Amino acid sequence: MDDEPLSAEESLNLIAQQNRRMRRELGGGPARMLGAWALAWIIGWGFTYVTVQPGFPVPGWVGGVVVAVAFVAAIGYTAYVSARAGRGIRGPSRTVGAMYGYSWALSSMGLSLIDIRITQFGSLSSEQVSLLWSGTWLLLTGVQYLAGGMLWQDKLMYGLGAWMIVSSALSVLVGYPTNFLVLAVCGGGGFLLAAIVYFVREKSSRR
Amino acid sequence: MSELPQLDPVIHAQARLRVTVALAGLHSNDQITFPRLQQLLDMTPGNLSTHLRKLEDAEYVEITKAYEHRTPVTLVRLTAAGRAAFESYTKALHQLLDATGGD
Repeated sequence: MDDEPLSAEESLNLIAQQNRRMRRELGGGPARMLGAWALAWIIGWGFTYVTVQPGFPVPGWVGGVVVAVAFVAAIGYTAYVSARAGRGIRGPSRTVGAMYGYSWALSSMGLSLIDIRITQFGSLSSEQVSLLWSGTWLLLTGVQYLAGGMLWQDKLMYGLGAWMIVSSALSVLVGYPTNFLVLAVCGGGGFLLAAIVYFVREKSSRR
Repeated sequence: MSELPQLDPVIHAQARLRVTVALAGLHSNDQITFPRLQQLLDMTPGNLSTHLRKLEDAEYVEITKAYEHRTPVTLVRLTAAGRAAFESYTKALHQLLDATGGD
């Protein structure tokens, strides 16, 4: 079958077909991962916001459990998708991807340590502690996406980072418990919007 | 449907075109293992080897044998020459289509 001469049109169809296959197998873009994080933030922080309302019949710690479960699920999904797409591929793009992943892990551990330590001093009220956590984590998320934007020369990702930093400032300015609403709506909403834009771009580049 | 003699004969064959497209879909300087490439193309090892050798002879593809955790792995990469050849090949396809009125 390799000896049959291809027409120009058949060749272009073959190229398009194999390119579709590559996009599907190599993951295409960050739309799905960002979608998973949007869900985790909107469900986790949205639920937390509801549980801390006075008179809500569910204790506040349940919100924390929901956030933890949603985040572990999103981390697992992200790790699975990137490992699956990167199977059998070696080289600079894999190194950059791994370094980016580790920078999330390292900076998250560092910030957890700082926030836990400051919380343990007990000199801040629980409402101030809540602002410390939401402000610093939105800031870290923002800086990581700024870095991602620089790494992959992706203006949308850079914009998402800038938006997370604006949200960080907003979360400490509005105060407790509205900071949870900022996390869910501005943070989660930012992820959702970015996911939608990437998804539409993927669809339109497929034509 | 016109015959296309001016198209690069190394790339202009169904199997080798697909191999080239797959390799061009990676980031430049990235390498792919033989089994993953085979999976992306649904080709038998023998068939893929044959076509890779032809692409390697034209210096469009670089094949490296390495060891990872004491296991031998074969890594394949499109060379700069291969990427350039694929670009001029697709350009030629579009020119031919335009010349023949789109069919």
